[in-house]
Amino acid sequence: MTGAGPALSAAAGVVYALILSPIVVVLLLAFSADNFILFPPSGYSLRWFIQLAANGPLLNALLLSAQIAVAVTALSLLIGVPAALALAKGGFRGAEAMKSFFLAPLLLPTLIIGLALLLAFTPLRLTATLPGLALGHMTITLPFVIRMMTTAFAAMPDDIEAAAATLGASPRRVIRRVTLPLAAPGLIACAALSFLLSFDETVISLFLSGPRAATLPVEMVRYVEGRTDPLIAALSMVLIVGTLVIVVLVERLVGVARAFGNERS
Amino acid sequence: MAYLELSGLTKRYRDSVAVDGLSLSVERGESVALLGPSGCGKTTTLRMLAGLVEPNEGVIALDGAEITRTAAHRRNMGYVFQSYALFPHLDVARNIGFGLEERGVARAEREQRVEDALQLVRLQGLGHRRPRELSGGQQQRVALARALVIRPSVLLLDESLSNLDAKLRDAMRHEIREIQRSLAITTLFVTHDQVEALTMCDRIAVMNRGRIAQIGSATDIYERPATRFVATFVGRANMLPAERGADGRLTLWGEALPAAAPSGGEVDVFVRPQRLKLAPAGEPAGADMARVSGHVLNSVFVGDHIEVIVAGPGGQRLTVEIQSGDAPPPDGAEVAVMWRAQDTLVFPREAA
Amino acid sequence: MTRQPRLAWLLAPATLFLVLVYVWPTLGLFRIAFNEVGPTGAMIEAWSLATWRHVFADSFTFELTLNSIWLSLTSTFLALLLSYPVSLFLFRTESRFRSLLAVIAIMPMLVSSVVRVFGWLAILGDRGLINSLLQSLGVISAPVRMVYNWTGVTIGLAESIMPYMILALLAGFGRLDRTLEEAARSLGAPPWRTFLRVTLPLSLPAIALAFGLGFILSMSAYITPKLLGGGRVFVLATEIFEQATTNTNWPVAAVLAVYTLALLLGLLALSNLFSRRLQT
Repeated sequence: MTGAGPALSAAAGVVYALILSPIVVVLLLAFSADNFILFPPSGYSLRWFIQLAANGPLLNALLLSAQIAVAVTALSLLIGVPAALALAKGGFRGAEAMKSFFLAPLLLPTLIIGLALLLAFTPLRLTATLPGLALGHMTITLPFVIRMMTTAFAAMPDDIEAAAATLGASPRRVIRRVTLPLAAPGLIACAALSFLLSFDETVISLFLSGPRAATLPVEMVRYVEGRTDPLIAALSMVLIVGTLVIVVLVERLVGVARAFGNERS
Repeated sequence: MAYLELSGLTKRYRDSVAVDGLSLSVERGESVALLGPSGCGKTTTLRMLAGLVEPNEGVIALDGAEITRTAAHRRNMGYVFQSYALFPHLDVARNIGFGLEERGVARAEREQRVEDALQLVRLQGLGHRRPRELSGGQQQRVALARALVIRPSVLLLDESLSNLDAKLRDAMRHEIREIQRSLAITTLFVTHDQVEALTMCDRIAVMNRGRIAQIGSATDIYERPATRFVATFVGRANMLPAERGADGRLTLWGEALPAAAPSGGEVDVFVRPQRLKLAPAGEPAGADMARVSGHVLNSVFVGDHIEVIVAGPGGQRLTVEIQSGDAPPPDGAEVAVMWRAQDTLVFPREAA
Repeated sequence: MTRQPRLAWLLAPATLFLVLVYVWPTLGLFRIAFNEVGPTGAMIEAWSLATWRHVFADSFTFELTLNSIWLSLTSTFLALLLSYPVSLFLFRTESRFRSLLAVIAIMPMLVSSVVRVFGWLAILGDRGLINSLLQSLGVISAPVRMVYNWTGVTIGLAESIMPYMILALLAGFGRLDRTLEEAARSLGAPPWRTFLRVTLPLSLPAIALAFGLGFILSMSAYITPKLLGGGRVFVLATEIFEQATTNTNWPVAAVLAVYTLALLLGLLALSNLFSRRLQT
């Protein structure tokens, strides 16, 4: 059997159109000149981008989300990468059980995690604070980082690290000079995805946000609940472009890192 | 005491014994091959020497000092991996200089020694290439240079030629042998390829099931195999069951065999195909010659020789090698097969 | 590298974090499900089943359960119908853009769910793409309501779970030996018969797994029912959020959460059982 065949390709094409339609529609709507959601727009303008630039709450939320995402990514890597290293290279008893333990939060719906965190954080006055939101996001990003990096470390050929050891590198030096440099492409991709996961996280944030501190997705939900104008489309456009920039950047960096020598022949 | 002493080395895994009470002495500057089929424990032995695998029992001593539990990075063993294990993120020069950096060798000296090492393996000018930009043979040389530049106490080669094509393998074999001799470096060479073992090493340890079956020079191993396993693993072999006559003497295919028989028990007769000669049927055997007769089943042209398959009265088969220039007897022809009595070896039959 | 059991202590920070920020709050949630609500609405520490009795005596809970299950069934089924051809296409295609096409198929995962919901508002809304199109063609005279009701939520939910189902199906197809299809073809089966007699039966375990995954994701989805439902679609997820935040009735929220979790576990077990049955 060669290829997909015309019927299957056509069916897939229709579904692709469906998958992409909300995103395409949002991108076009961002340039609407109308006061409400009208598609196709009766005219095109940049007015909603100008409105967006003047919208204090949304811009503040954007800033807060970015701060949280940076903190969450840094902390998740800081405690997730060593854990992944231990899981992949430790070979101690109970490593398999620990792997399952670290994956567990990914199996629980964010709705449940969000509720549990709301109940636990309220007495601690952690709700609607940057640390509280960051801790909440880390319940998602940390297991994700651990899982991704465990796979990356385990996929590394053992002989290369053994070679470094026979050449006189202590276990610590092997990690610094061989293991981590070889894992660099994985680390970059992992950091970017962790940033996006935190930045886009909505449900946990909805539980943990208050009027004082709301992340961007929370502000967006509130806005969409209250009004239906193309402002959110303009914001979406900015977010989609931002996401694409990050994805392309990572592809470039990881690509460069691969060319730098991580390719297996 | 020898330079490198392994005694009673044992490595058990959960449900198998990889190395079983292995002892071996290697003199300074000597080159020893560990030859055996896959799974015989030869690589595990090498990894225990390098400190990459910890033995359950036994002692490893180097130059009089015990190193059984010394960490890999404190052993100063040059290990050349089967996969080469070059650092993909470092260029050739930094790959070779890696061990010198770890030893804190000053930059100027380091560069000089890396340069010398590149010259030794004939890779001058390739120091700034990435490993993946090199051919398999060149990668192999980098791996060798990287292991040699630290002036290792022992050079350990793990199936190091098995990833190269046949022609390159021949060239590298001679090259490595030459380097090993000129540096007079103690070398352990793990291989499953008998040609590599026979040509590259002073002594060969044939391994089977975690133990050394026989250790000796290439000639010893080839001409005087100590066990059935060694006889069949190294070189080509005819192995036939012998009968015992009423007087206790051995017969093969109904003819008396001029060979000493170990007392009692069933035995097999071993003789190499290239030591056999074909003669017209009925020709008498000379003094100190063994002789059987049969008929030619068929002949196979193998390039540098022809294999003539001779079937005996019981249907058992002997392979006789004749020079490829000679014309083999026609299929079905009655022939006599002769060989010098001293080329016959007799082994007790093993339970299957 | 030789195994290094000493590395185990590197697990300590991550373990500590998860115990404090995941295990402890989750246990707390279960604990609060057994608290009571006083007459003033304040929570009273207790070990009682009063809140459970209260929640399950309310017929609204029953209605929410049916709503959640029905919504999840329809949207997962819709998503499966749409995901299957895409996955099969990605599995079979020999296009050099295959990996790009795969990334596009799961791209919605990278776009905020709020953005996608907003896109659906613009497509399905009263003055959205579809209504404008149908009206200009003269098919309808007044806009058809497709958002702020079950239709919109079903469509939006189906789209949001599709990337996950496509991935699950693709993983399942990965185990499908393509030479089997070729063998069927060589034995004289036309493509559609090959599909019905070989491909489809062999992909049933993948379908069961993907369906289970989609169903669980739909059951616990909050954003899509909330925004595309416009306050008119009530499911367990929206009720849990309402009780926890607007009503600050924590024990009820906790009971509903534990109940939803139990439903999900049951469904997960069922889906695994099916998948395993189909594989043997």
